[in-house]
Amino acid sequence: MTLSRRQFIRNASVAGGALTIGFSLSGCSEQQLPKQNAADFQPDSYLRVTPDGQVIAQIFKAEMGQGVLTGILSVLAEELEMEPASMRYEMAPPHPAFGDPEMIMQVTGGSNSIRLYYDTLRTVGATAREMLITAAVQQTGTPASELYAEAGRVRSRDSRVDLGYGELVATANTLAVPENPPLKQAADFKVIGRQNDRLDAQAKVDGTAVFGSDAPVENALVAVVLRCPHAEGSCGGWDASEAQQLPGVEDIFQIDGGIAVVARNYWRARKAAEAVSTNWQTGEAPLQSSEDIDVAFAAALEGDEFEVVREDGELPAEAGARTLSVEYNAPFVAHATMEPQTATAQPMADGGIEVWVGNQAPDVAQAYAAKGFGVGRDQAIIHNTFLGGGFGRRAAADNVYEVAQIVARVQQPVKLVWSREDDMRHDFYRPVMKARLRASLAESGDVESYTHQIVAPSINQKIMPHFLNAAMPAWVPHGVKSAIGNMQADTDHASVEGVADTSYQFPHFLVQYTNLQTVMPLGYWRSVGHSQNAFVIESFVDEMAHAAGRDPVEFRRAHLPENSRHRVVLDKVAAMANWEQPAAGRYLGVAVHESFYSVVAEVAEVSMEDGRPKLEKVYCAIDCGIAVNPDIVRAQMESGIIFGLTAALKGKITVKDGAVEQSNFHDYQMLRMSETPEIEVAIIDSQAAPTGVGEPGTPPAAPALANALFAATGKRQRDLPLQLA
Amino acid sequence: MSPETITFTLNGQPARLEIEPDTPLLWVLRDELAMNGTKFGCGRGLCGACTVHLEGSPIRSCSLPISAVAGKAVTTIEGLSSAGDHPLQKAWVAENAPQCGYCQSGQIMSAAALLAARPNPTDADINAYMSGNICRCGTYPRIRKAIKRAAAEMAAAAVATWEPGQDADAAEVLS
Ligand code: FES
Ligand code: FES
Repeated sequence: MTLSRRQFIRNASVAGGALTIGFSLSGCSEQQLPKQNAADFQPDSYLRVTPDGQVIAQIFKAEMGQGVLTGILSVLAEELEMEPASMRYEMAPPHPAFGDPEMIMQVTGGSNSIRLYYDTLRTVGATAREMLITAAVQQTGTPASELYAEAGRVRSRDSRVDLGYGELVATANTLAVPENPPLKQAADFKVIGRQNDRLDAQAKVDGTAVFGSDAPVENALVAVVLRCPHAEGSCGGWDASEAQQLPGVEDIFQIDGGIAVVARNYWRARKAAEAVSTNWQTGEAPLQSSEDIDVAFAAALEGDEFEVVREDGELPAEAGARTLSVEYNAPFVAHATMEPQTATAQPMADGGIEVWVGNQAPDVAQAYAAKGFGVGRDQAIIHNTFLGGGFGRRAAADNVYEVAQIVARVQQPVKLVWSREDDMRHDFYRPVMKARLRASLAESGDVESYTHQIVAPSINQKIMPHFLNAAMPAWVPHGVKSAIGNMQADTDHASVEGVADTSYQFPHFLVQYTNLQTVMPLGYWRSVGHSQNAFVIESFVDEMAHAAGRDPVEFRRAHLPENSRHRVVLDKVAAMANWEQPAAGRYLGVAVHESFYSVVAEVAEVSMEDGRPKLEKVYCAIDCGIAVNPDIVRAQMESGIIFGLTAALKGKITVKDGAVEQSNFHDYQMLRMSETPEIEVAIIDSQAAPTGVGEPGTPPAAPALANALFAATGKRQRDLPLQLA
Repeated sequence: MSPETITFTLNGQPARLEIEPDTPLLWVLRDELAMNGTKFGCGRGLCGACTVHLEGSPIRSCSLPISAVAGKAVTTIEGLSSAGDHPLQKAWVAENAPQCGYCQSGQIMSAAALLAARPNPTDADINAYMSGNICRCGTYPRIRKAIKRAAAEMAAAAVATWEPGQDADAAEVLS
């Protein structure tokens, strides 16, 4: 495949509205995935057809539950004219061909997979289909106008031609790639908008789905790692002489990041780790405890170190008929993916390393495998498995760095397993945040002025060096990478997203931000800044509506643009929830929020039982453009809502001496089935290009619940987590 | 702790190994026997990801030493059905229940025990029985539906295979 072909595919994604970044840090993004077998027909990196008729897609995005595997197969299958279930798939390796045009690296995140690749995948499928039809023309002499593709075959209208795709591979391989393959009309779609079944479901109900510690590696040892509990702390010495004597122990040694204990199985490794004595030291970084953080953030809120992120209009000279000034708080929260971090690795005969891991950024994983093992990146093979939950946690590759260092020492296959306690205490947390909200309302209740001040540590400043180590060429010194991370901090969109870019229209609108860093590592947590910012803005809008004596739905509509998608989903969810006339004893709260190019409105319905509020039901309406797999969209809304409610009701990580105080599911709890409300989801009919699905369900959940609790109890809760008592 | 010879029945087959008797069943399954369908989520009986059946009853294999399994019968997700087609597995697929999938072996093993105890569970039964199993992906609404679907299918199958005289036999046994 030529460079121009590659460029063509790139341009196809520009047509989808995506921003294409015109450079590549690796400098080789025009490469194609090499063919595994010369006889295969591989019109592009995403797809190949074997001579025996298998159509095999590369799953170049991480399947972490969000359903992207089914999405990719569905879009390809539509244009290929075949049943998605009849396609095969492979988890793609890290490769420049799969570099994300927005994020440069091969990252799965930002709910962007289908949004960015919808047109690209259709073009890939259509290209293959047209080339297979052309091959049939050459093989049979039948004119193209008489041929069509159906059910993975090329057929003629008079039924004389009926060739499987595999039978056309050899000829297709000799053809030039067409520049403008025709895409199907939406009216002819058989798969897009109709494919509801998940194509990875069977493997996930019979126990055969492979996650990071299920790799098919024989005779693997098992490793656990003791890590300094104090963020940015250090090890002042350790003694494993007793632990070394325990049964099943193979080796105990220091690695960059901790002390590795390698044994015959997990239990022996864990028991030995418990017998290692350690002397961990706290670090020098400021703000090591939750109490100190709260005091410092409160002081920052009073201070004048704010950067103006957005200002529209001018502060009115006089205060309006009503004014409000309140403070909101959100704590650190953990990802707590169901699968703790794991990875399996083994040395290869050629001196390289082979790693099995479920990771959202496999090229980061590859870089860390190479670094940990001490080889070049081209000698590190990454097999991306299913992810036992991602939510942003698995964008980091700390586990891969660990396992590679361990294999470098023991030179045998090793499974690295983090305990739940390891996972809870060594996460990249959603940042703590404090916000001050001020508003001035006119006599009519309309907003005259809205000010939103945020104090929060920058995520990018903390996590960028971790990624840049991987994305940057190895010769860039570490200091430069840190400097880039710092530069990011001043304009950290993640801290203000959902506020600075809101669609609400206020005559005077001011957003200010201060970056105040703590000792804690930070990361991207499902919906990132939107998750806490939507809680604040959508709770405060509710406060303004009540202060104005106006209906919360009407008040929102009045401040949102006419003809906006926001009004559409609001109206839809209000109708679903019977907003005008809730059932007796039911109290409703609403929230609407745009994130990742989708707009979602949710209504929480609460009852009172013995003086305690009980969450009964959540209604949800989403506009995500074309829903490629409608039932997966519904499932992602359910998932995002439950994720949001879990944080809203239970999520709170606290720190002392830079160490996380929670450890497992007894003190960092998850919503259980008995606490989960009924959820009803509606998808707005749309022919617009697809937008995000994995994250947008989460942001409105907390404010919808907070607003329903206010409706039920008259008490406004401004601190997460919310109290039901 | 020195290794002992432990024998038990795993998915209908005899299993025998030399192992320290304090080793939890979960790690015997995963690390010694390469039975990877059963998952590790918390190690403390808090999440249900490691649920298997011991003599037909659901247990958390992360918290059960292998010594307590000696001579007994264990069923894991791999042994629930011969072709991954237990009514619960089919219902899970039909309802698009799995997301990341990591919790689902444990969920299904819990649900199988529920249906064995209560073939026609109410919502309250399902909540009570299943709330020990965490799903971080939030698949609870679909798990609820899938359990009801499987219960209905199993009830229909039971009617279809009913033969005259069965009830009388049962009555005799009971009397
Ligand atoms: S791993 Fe056994 S209950 Fe969580
Ligand atoms: S499906 Fe992911 S934890 Fe349940």
